[in-house]
Amino acid sequence: MCNTCGCAMKPADTVTIDVLQGLLAANDRAAAHNREHFDRHRVLVVNLMSSPGAGKTALLEATIVALRERYRIAVIEGDLETDNDAARIRAHGVPALQITTGSACHLDAQLVHAALHELPLAGLDLLFIENVGNLVCPAGFDLGQHRNVTLLSVTEGDDKPAKYPVIFRASDLVVLSKTDLLDVLDDFDPARAATALRALGGGVPMIHTAARRAPALGEWLHWLECELRARRAAPLRAPRVDAMMEA
Amino acid sequence: MMHELSICQALLIRVAEIAAVNGAAAVERVTIEIGALAGVDPALLTAAFAVMRAGSCAATAALRIESTGVRIECLACGTESPAAPNRLICTQCGGYRTRVVAGEDLRLRDVELRLAGLPELAQLPPVPEPSGLLRRRARASGPGATA
Repeated sequence: MCNTCGCAMKPADTVTIDVLQGLLAANDRAAAHNREHFDRHRVLVVNLMSSPGAGKTALLEATIVALRERYRIAVIEGDLETDNDAARIRAHGVPALQITTGSACHLDAQLVHAALHELPLAGLDLLFIENVGNLVCPAGFDLGQHRNVTLLSVTEGDDKPAKYPVIFRASDLVVLSKTDLLDVLDDFDPARAATALRALGGGVPMIHTAARRAPALGEWLHWLECELRARRAAPLRAPRVDAMMEA
Repeated sequence: MMHELSICQALLIRVAEIAAVNGAAAVERVTIEIGALAGVDPALLTAAFAVMRAGSCAATAALRIESTGVRIECLACGTESPAAPNRLICTQCGGYRTRVVAGEDLRLRDVELRLAGLPELAQLPPVPEPSGLLRRRARASGPGATA
């Protein structure tokens, strides 16, 4: 009731607004914008995810050595601190940009977008985004990549896909890394890892790699080259004008 | 930092936009849906919300979380069934080619707002007492006046 004249008008009222919108809508818009940039330059973008120490940077170093004569490659590195990984990549003669997230546990589309302002895409064939080492948080944030690749090193448990189903389900490919160590490990069974992955439905393929002492990269390089060919054959999409995201 | 903080931040930004567009005085309640495969922990998000809402239009808002379970559809036999997040295999035929039909949601469902009422009369500027002449003019130019 109104305090001034005693009329029946309520000073305030409540109303429920239906929204039904994704909580990450802003990130998804930024990711779509990144993807338009990538598609306009016909560059294949692969988001590499894994727990810390699974060998993402080592795999990238070996991949660069194997492919740098035929493809122009660049890398965006995500870590909480240090420029160490970008420096390792640059030592192989390809451009690398380090994003240090401070304390954030994952990259998001806006961070990648900001990095793209400092990393020219023109002339690139392949851009790797090495996400922050973490099997939980990176899974939920689309960066605009074309493919998600998750590494599972054989020094981890072979039940990782059962323990972290969200990230392994979000993968287009699972790379079993450090397989040259299988001979000296008695507790990792690749078949058990494959079974745990298959239990997540969707039929995500799993391949084996070794990046250091005795490199075994055949399946991985074959997968990458198939993806590169598919990306080049994809029709060039007309750029969409989005004034908000161009800002 | 867990990613629930990023998600909570995105939620509060969206809620503030909705409150501003609707001219709300405050946010009473926020309802979100989290699927078991969304990769978001409801308890962590609740804890983040309790801290991060401070100073915003949702400073006293309640957060209601509706958790949704996983349901899959088998691409081989078509059976739809509930499933555990790490066992998305058809319960009928054992097929592992399945499609998740529920449980991936991470959505803002609705926002309950307290709307600001019309300003009370005491807060309006005082109406000047019109003289006789002004009163006639005011009447002539008022709503429904005839020339």
